[in-house]
Amino acid sequence: MSPAITLSALNKSFGSKRAVIDLDLQVPRGALYGIIGPNGAGKSTSLRMILSILFPDSGRIGVLGEDSALKAKDRIGYLPEERGVYRKMRIADFLLHMAVLKSVPRATARARVREWLERVGLPEVANKRAEELSKGMQQKIQFIAAVIHQPELLILDEPFSGLDPVNMRLLRDLIVAEHQRGTTILFSTHVMQQAEQLCQHIVMIHDGRKVLDDTLATIQSRHAPRSLRFLPLDPQADVAAALQPLPGITNISQVDGNWQIGLDPAANPAALVQSVAAALAPARLELLRPNLEDIFIGIVHGSHSAAEQTAA
Amino acid sequence: MNKIVQIAQREFLATVLTKGFLIGILAVPVLTFAMILILPLLINQKTPKISGEIAILDRSGVLFERVAPQLTADAFAQRRRASEERLHAIMPAAVRELAQSPAAESAVQQGLQQALGEAPELQLVLIDTAADIEAEKRALLDGPRLVLVVVHANAVQQDPALPASAELGSYDLFVRAKLDDRLLDQLRDALKLALVDARLAARQIDAAQIRSLTRTPFVAPLVIDADGERRSNEAFNRVLPILFMALILATVMTAGQQLMTSTIEEKSSRVVEVLLAAVSPTELMAGKILGQLGVASLLIGLYGGLGLLALISFSLVGLVDPWMLLYLPIFFLIAFVVLASLMAAIGAAVNELREAQALLTPVILVVTLPMMLWLPISRDPNSMLATVLSLTPPVNPFVMILRLSSNTPPPLWQVWLSIAIGIGSMFAAIWFAGKVFRIGLLMHGKPPNLMTLARWVRQA
Repeated sequence: MSPAITLSALNKSFGSKRAVIDLDLQVPRGALYGIIGPNGAGKSTSLRMILSILFPDSGRIGVLGEDSALKAKDRIGYLPEERGVYRKMRIADFLLHMAVLKSVPRATARARVREWLERVGLPEVANKRAEELSKGMQQKIQFIAAVIHQPELLILDEPFSGLDPVNMRLLRDLIVAEHQRGTTILFSTHVMQQAEQLCQHIVMIHDGRKVLDDTLATIQSRHAPRSLRFLPLDPQADVAAALQPLPGITNISQVDGNWQIGLDPAANPAALVQSVAAALAPARLELLRPNLEDIFIGIVHGSHSAAEQTAA
Repeated sequence: MNKIVQIAQREFLATVLTKGFLIGILAVPVLTFAMILILPLLINQKTPKISGEIAILDRSGVLFERVAPQLTADAFAQRRRASEERLHAIMPAAVRELAQSPAAESAVQQGLQQALGEAPELQLVLIDTAADIEAEKRALLDGPRLVLVVVHANAVQQDPALPASAELGSYDLFVRAKLDDRLLDQLRDALKLALVDARLAARQIDAAQIRSLTRTPFVAPLVIDADGERRSNEAFNRVLPILFMALILATVMTAGQQLMTSTIEEKSSRVVEVLLAAVSPTELMAGKILGQLGVASLLIGLYGGLGLLALISFSLVGLVDPWMLLYLPIFFLIAFVVLASLMAAIGAAVNELREAQALLTPVILVVTLPMMLWLPISRDPNSMLATVLSLTPPVNPFVMILRLSSNTPPPLWQVWLSIAIGIGSMFAAIWFAGKVFRIGLLMHGKPPNLMTLARWVRQA
């Protein structure tokens, strides 16, 4: 079976600004992919090109076995970053309108509107106008509009922005449920924890270019641990004096009651764990792997440093 | 296609099922009827009675006795009745019949009564010819004096010192600062009549006989056509073209503005991105134009139907060329599609209604051009100006409707050429709007000018 999404050498510019540069991407069917990157990196532009809302200057797009999303619109669900509803339209009418536009038969669409409103705990809003709803409620309605036609591919652009923790958890559960139904999900976010919690696979875009494309586990294993978290068995022990002289340790600082020990990138983490434990008996000794945010910041800073060096 | 119909249906219902639209749609006929009912009442309201003194210094010595009978209340009423008869003669036959119904006749009587009641109460004062004229003029500044008439000595008979061919004198009028214009008109009429009578009498000519010999009624022409002969309705013929054009212009502009507003709303509320994930920009635009075409058709059906009913009830329907029933929908469709496409493009290009003004002004100016040129076009419907404009988009549907409903319709080839040009302009407008629509819908920030729109068209 063909991948859900295939992008080859995709480019898009707005005037002199190059928004997306030579983007290659393949998203297999049934996968849950996260596109991460800072604001203005080119995430939304890439998603809009996948959806054929914008058209690339060059490159090829394949979506659900078609050469354009225009031919597969009814099998794709989309939740844009900027939420929009018809303010004066009744909620049930709006959802019915969106379902019919996705080629769902009217009778089926009516039944699905009822089911979904009950599922998100909003059965009473069916006859209310969108302007009468809170922002959180409107976002739930938007999500229903994106999935009411049971899409094979669901594209979510910053789905959690502006949600409170309760609604964030509800939306996360709904996304997981759609994924379990077999839907391929591609979502963008600039909040790294959300990507870490949800995604199997991460794509990072920075300044219009793809800088990372791998499974979360591979990314984390590829980035060597940079620090140890240490708590001595003897609370009175002078940790800094005991550990600072050890080779391969760059710095020692206290963070939230624990000691954080920085490791030399050239040092062997396994050997250092042993020598730390031998130098001072630990109550807790943990090798800290970098989280996505650290990796992300490392990449962004790395590219900035490289750019500065090139400029110099 | 189902998606286009779905968008059209939403667009139509979202426009029509609003309080504002329903009030607006009823407001036009209600206001029209209200004007018909209330205006005559307002016009018939008694104006403040004019009373005062008219001083006449009669150097001819014969005019005063002839002017006095012309300025009585009866004489005023008689002159007004004569004016009404002239008006009556140029009325369309059906309206005349209506005016002769018992109810209307009593209203006419009432009007006359009011006219009699309104007649000014004037005291005529003859001033001695030796009086100080400057002192008499000063009397206009204060007191009851309204007018001072100084009749020249040679107003009736020529001065023997002058040659017989020299022009006769007349009179000078001095009036107070604030004087009702109608009194001045009446006074001039009365003085003219008196002067002419006096001159005729001085030459032993019977004034009554001359008047009777020179009086001719207003003759309304009878039109001879294949169906026989019928009375011509000149007044109606004059307003029919503008009515047809106004019908198209009003309905097309109403629906066009609704289309622009709804596009701006979809763009500013960001709902457009959700829609574009479900349909292509072309489908979205087509659906919206189709929906508003429904709105415009509803309006033209409603107002056109009301107009037709009025024509039937006044037995004037025969004056409308049956071909108009074919041409009207064709030119309406051309005008609507061209204007609606431009409105959709403007709606897609801007972020809010306020920003649309700059792009909307040239469109409004161009479209209202036929309205401004109505008089020269309808006076000479086959002039160079009318012919060129009726073949120039986007005003050609409006001007051609003006020409078609005139007394001298254009040759058939011009009508069909205008239709062909109109169809071409429809496609051009859709092509242009489609390009702007595709780029503009997702553009936010600084509103574009005409140059930016041209760049978008090249980019898309």
